[in-house]
Amino acid sequence: MPETLQPVVARALRAYANLVELGESIEDEWSYVNDLAGVWEFRLTEVADQRGAESVPAAVSAAVDRAIAEIGLIADPHRAIDWLSTFPQVVLLALDEAP
Amino acid sequence: MRFQDAARDARAVVYAGIQADPLVARAAELLVTATHGQRILARAVMNGESTDPGAWRTMFPSLFDLAIGDDGRRVSSESILAAALAVADRGEQVRSQVRGAIVEELTARLLARRVEATSVRRERRILFDGVRAEIHPYDVTVERDSAPEAYDCKWGARGINADVLHQLDDARTHAGDEDERLVVGLVVFDAVRSCRVRLAAQTAPHAATEIVPIEGLDALAGRIG
Repeated sequence: MPETLQPVVARALRAYANLVELGESIEDEWSYVNDLAGVWEFRLTEVADQRGAESVPAAVSAAVDRAIAEIGLIADPHRAIDWLSTFPQVVLLALDEAP
Repeated sequence: MRFQDAARDARAVVYAGIQADPLVARAAELLVTATHGQRILARAVMNGESTDPGAWRTMFPSLFDLAIGDDGRRVSSESILAAALAVADRGEQVRSQVRGAIVEELTARLLARRVEATSVRRERRILFDGVRAEIHPYDVTVERDSAPEAYDCKWGARGINADVLHQLDDARTHAGDEDERLVVGLVVFDAVRSCRVRLAAQTAPHAATEIVPIEGLDALAGRIG
């Protein structure tokens, strides 16, 4: 049985928090990292609030889980900062939402 | 106001080699006609860790899954994925330079769809009477008598900084001092949402600088996205 959108986004947000933590290690970019994270977390939460009860196809769940796995591979904080912008775009595209 | 080739210093010579890499032209050409989703794919893969194409196909079902997308999109997505993986396969420093060169080449190719192709130039300085020339050239310029344009290009929103914003706005202002209108823009291969966050923290003037994010790239070609 397909899962609903809410837990998919919840998983994405948990993984995103780890990425934020990695990006924060670049002290000069601390404010940017947190401002950026705040804006994208708001957007993802907004989608979950609006469509959380919807069923999502297995391919979409798999896409988000694969994106989560991808950011789990990142060890370089500079790359993490770049992915703080890229990851939400990938997730939103999988959910058929405009970034 | 006049345009001039940038000095052929060591940096310019090295970077010219990067710009001439056939992979840069291949990727840029594919991205000219790409959809917004395909451009996000390219951005993700070119800065990704995974080298397995299957992983990226899973991550972008709307581009590769025939149950969701269409065959034409799947074929072009495969080409973009292959080019992006070839970029990612380069060493860390080289891939960063190649990515930057791709954004510049993409910008030039999109502009060439709107204006006379010969008016689109690369790595050019802009000189103004009585003003000391900037050391750094503009990435892409549109050089014509009416409505010339100057663009700098960035891979990500993090590349937006005071230096580039000042340089672009100074050029616009100096052009105005000579009663010329120079359109200045910053092309950023990143989401508008991220660009806004970066710009909000900048005190350098940018109100008159056109910010062209990944969602708005087609506007360079005169297309409404």
